[in-house]
Amino acid sequence: MAIRWTIRFVLLFLLGTVWIQACKKSNGDKSGPTPISFAIPAGFPTPQYQFTTNALTEEGFELGRKLFYDGKLSKDGNFPCASCHQQFAAFATFDHNFSHGFNNQFTTRNAPALFNLVWQKQTHWDGGINNLEVQPLAPLMAPNEMAEDINSVLGKLNQDATYKQMFKAAFGDETINSQRMLYALTQFVGSLVSADSKYDRVKKGLAAFTPQEQMGYTLFQSKCNSCHAEPLFTDNSFRNTGLPVDPTINDRGRMRITQNRADSLKFKVPSLRNLYLTFPYGHDGRFISVNQALEHYNSGVQQSATVDPLVQHGIALSTNDKNYLQLFLRTLTDSTFIKNKRFAPPGS
Amino acid sequence: MQPRQPNTSMLNRIASCLLLISVLASCQKELKMDATAIHNIELRFKPVVLFDTVEMKFDTVTYKNAFNESFKVSAFKFYVHAFELFNTDSNRISRAGDQDYYLVDFADSNSTVIKLNVVPYKYNVLAFTMGVDSVLNVSGAQTGVLDPAKGMFWEWNTGYIMSKLEGTSPVSTAPANSFKYHIGGFRQAESVIKKITLLFPYPEVIDMKPGKKTVIDITADVYDWFNNPHDIRIGTNAGVMSPGTLAQQIAENYSKMFAVVKVKND
Repeated sequence: MAIRWTIRFVLLFLLGTVWIQACKKSNGDKSGPTPISFAIPAGFPTPQYQFTTNALTEEGFELGRKLFYDGKLSKDGNFPCASCHQQFAAFATFDHNFSHGFNNQFTTRNAPALFNLVWQKQTHWDGGINNLEVQPLAPLMAPNEMAEDINSVLGKLNQDATYKQMFKAAFGDETINSQRMLYALTQFVGSLVSADSKYDRVKKGLAAFTPQEQMGYTLFQSKCNSCHAEPLFTDNSFRNTGLPVDPTINDRGRMRITQNRADSLKFKVPSLRNLYLTFPYGHDGRFISVNQALEHYNSGVQQSATVDPLVQHGIALSTNDKNYLQLFLRTLTDSTFIKNKRFAPPGS
Repeated sequence: MQPRQPNTSMLNRIASCLLLISVLASCQKELKMDATAIHNIELRFKPVVLFDTVEMKFDTVTYKNAFNESFKVSAFKFYVHAFELFNTDSNRISRAGDQDYYLVDFADSNSTVIKLNVVPYKYNVLAFTMGVDSVLNVSGAQTGVLDPAKGMFWEWNTGYIMSKLEGTSPVSTAPANSFKYHIGGFRQAESVIKKITLLFPYPEVIDMKPGKKTVIDITADVYDWFNNPHDIRIGTNAGVMSPGTLAQQIAENYSKMFAVVKVKND
């Protein structure tokens, strides 16, 4: 018996060794990248994008940050992601209805602010992008934006020793491919979480609205909240808010993606967080002030077949209402977010 | 000793199970690689024109579609996956290869040969799927043949271009007389994903002996893109660049472009 058992244990031990050896390759001999646990702010829903196949790590984030600020991703080197997405403007383009792109061209829509992106089901004004990971390809390849080609960008990155090191640190080896580049960019932009405005502090009981802000909040909850739903201040839906069509651009919005006439002139409901950092407003940046945008709802809604039932009769707002609303909307500015050094250019 | 017997055999069993599990777990990767290393089926795709008789050449030769429109071809490629072989007598169906995707690009001869493995048997039908399953159109950044860097991806309206035919034609009204058919669409209402079933021409059949290989020659006729059942004139439609009715019509046309022309058993 004793001998039999010895044999069994030896066999098990040997096989155990084989098993460990087999696993070794996947574990790697180094400790690997440092995981980051994504913190969901109190009261926020479950994110749409959850880093399941793209594990969030310190090294992946840093690589994404470098890529985001690097002109190499554009054809002539002048247009990194950050050229249209500026941190001090909550990653929108400050004071521009349209943004500058390759060869003196302009975009045809207002650059959206980048924050809380992992809670968006689709990105872009028309919702054309169904997964955050592939969003960077759109500006990268658009001839009036970064005007580049994926393989050309990968070629440039491959010639850079720093990138080789950073890809290795983030993903285990020096291979640079589109998936890894997109994963890293997604780790950076997905980490841009803005949830530290006065509004958030009031919700946590750490601050209090002034009576005027509170009046604005009450108005907001009765007149705006059904589309700009808290806590993200958007319900991520697509709606026609009755903006007259600009005949030079003739942008039909969501219909371009769905080919469905019922989606004509519908655009994504933008978040109102950081509103006062992201002017001008509207999908084509036609409103230069919050007051103008509010007045549109009060008196400017143009009727059409797809205009949203919630705004088709306008939203009556007195001058006082608009003033109170603006005082409330100012509490949505997150100055911690725009000053966060982690989101600033690498080395700054 | 007697009373301990069952207990020992139980332990034995547990030990064997543990051994088996360890072996399986440690070898899983290797086993999979070994299995795909035995390629006993080779599919060779060839572009043709005119009822599968003439080999299609890129750029240099002018062809004429059913509407007498002259054209030259500069790109012809498509995604395929999920291969199966049938025997229509015994109704036996065998999956050939794994679920890998292949991009058949007639400008790259390496991509036109697909090597698969299948259980040796007699088969007379080949089936596969053209296109990229919907889930992969919404799952973010892919790699390998599904890498968006392959140029078969819409970056502004996420989704794969499942088939591509490009060229020039004097009747095209597009810049440089080009025509570009980028066919995609994965949502149910606009899907261009097609299941292709090809019966081998009688008396061709796969008669596979263990350890032997079968080569199947498959033609893809570019003329079929333009008609039957839908008339697609280059003069009217020089560009299809998004999902929708036109893309679905072209996909229905080209889903009939394949034919098994020869089966060669080792």
